[in-house]
Amino acid sequence: MTTAEPPTEVRWRLATPADLPFVYRLVTQVDPRWYRFSRHGLEPSGMIGLMGGIAAGAIVHDSLDEPVACALLADSSASGTGTFEYYALPTPHAQRCAALAAPDLLGAVFATSSPRRLYVERFDNDPHLLGDAEQLLTPEVVLPDFIRIDGVYEARTTMVLTADAWWPWHEARSESAE
Amino acid sequence: MITTSRIVFRPVLPDDYRRLYEIESDPATALTWRYRGQLPPITEYEPALWRQTQQIMVVEGRATGTIVGYLQLHDTDLRAGNASFSLYSGPEHRGSGLVMEGLMAFCEWAFGNWPIRWLYAHSFEHNVSAFESGLRRGEAVRLGVLRERMLVDGELTDVHVIGIEREAWLASPLRRRFNQLRERSLNVGSSAPPVTGV
Repeated sequence: MTTAEPPTEVRWRLATPADLPFVYRLVTQVDPRWYRFSRHGLEPSGMIGLMGGIAAGAIVHDSLDEPVACALLADSSASGTGTFEYYALPTPHAQRCAALAAPDLLGAVFATSSPRRLYVERFDNDPHLLGDAEQLLTPEVVLPDFIRIDGVYEARTTMVLTADAWWPWHEARSESAE
Repeated sequence: MITTSRIVFRPVLPDDYRRLYEIESDPATALTWRYRGQLPPITEYEPALWRQTQQIMVVEGRATGTIVGYLQLHDTDLRAGNASFSLYSGPEHRGSGLVMEGLMAFCEWAFGNWPIRWLYAHSFEHNVSAFESGLRRGEAVRLGVLRERMLVDGELTDVHVIGIEREAWLASPLRRRFNQLRERSLNVGSSAPPVTGV
């Protein structure tokens, strides 16, 4: 498939320890945008340690069954919050695949973990990978000039997707698909 | 170490841990993010105290010689040039202004000794009044509010994210006054050199 062709099919599955090499490659390719990992540098054993604290993860595959993106649910807490982290290889093809899979991944998070409030954090120039679900995000905190990436300071914004926003949208989307 | 007429601001020593533990055992403090109501026993306190923490500075009241509170520099990211801080006040000293004076000393120390552009603090709704005067004067800015972020004592509470920018601190009239007072307290009865600041 070339980058000009829209992907026709994506699938996702739960991540396993065998996916660590792919996740590490992804972190290095988007560095420092996957801040959870990049903020500590790219020393591999440090990243493996950080992965140990992740509640759940998923890998997105394209139609050729190549891994193109990874989603993690982190920082789940008793107060009903969690952080959804979602990164794709830095190619238009991988990013399109990620955007197509995003609503299903979010649906799986809400169905299995029932967060009240799911946080998404991103830098100014991060690609938008949540597809149609992007419209549900509400910004709550903006840290200006947070980090310099390729010579330009970018803000880091924390957005929230609430269960109250998710479920009506998800149900309407499911009904229109039937 | 920074000294004013009312406080001594200095690095924590192991002998101080028991007093810090007392401060953190106060119910209003024990329910914060760090322990979420599950303060470890004193025998396991030191590693918990230092988790993700680069430095701890205590605020001693000069009148009593006791530790009235402390500040922690944590989650430092030198690549990004930012860090977070936490501020704890002994319950009997809240409202005295001593720990907020310690916060001024902390800003002076942190921006003068670390390559940091921004300091961040997360404050529960019920504690954010401590920052209100700084927010009004402009040394601090409210960067946003995480609505109903935490469960404290069974109630959902907002968390305010407060930022202090290096340049704003360096240019602030508050900092100028703070250093004038420092200089005055150093020069009383001594021939100490003037404080030059950052």
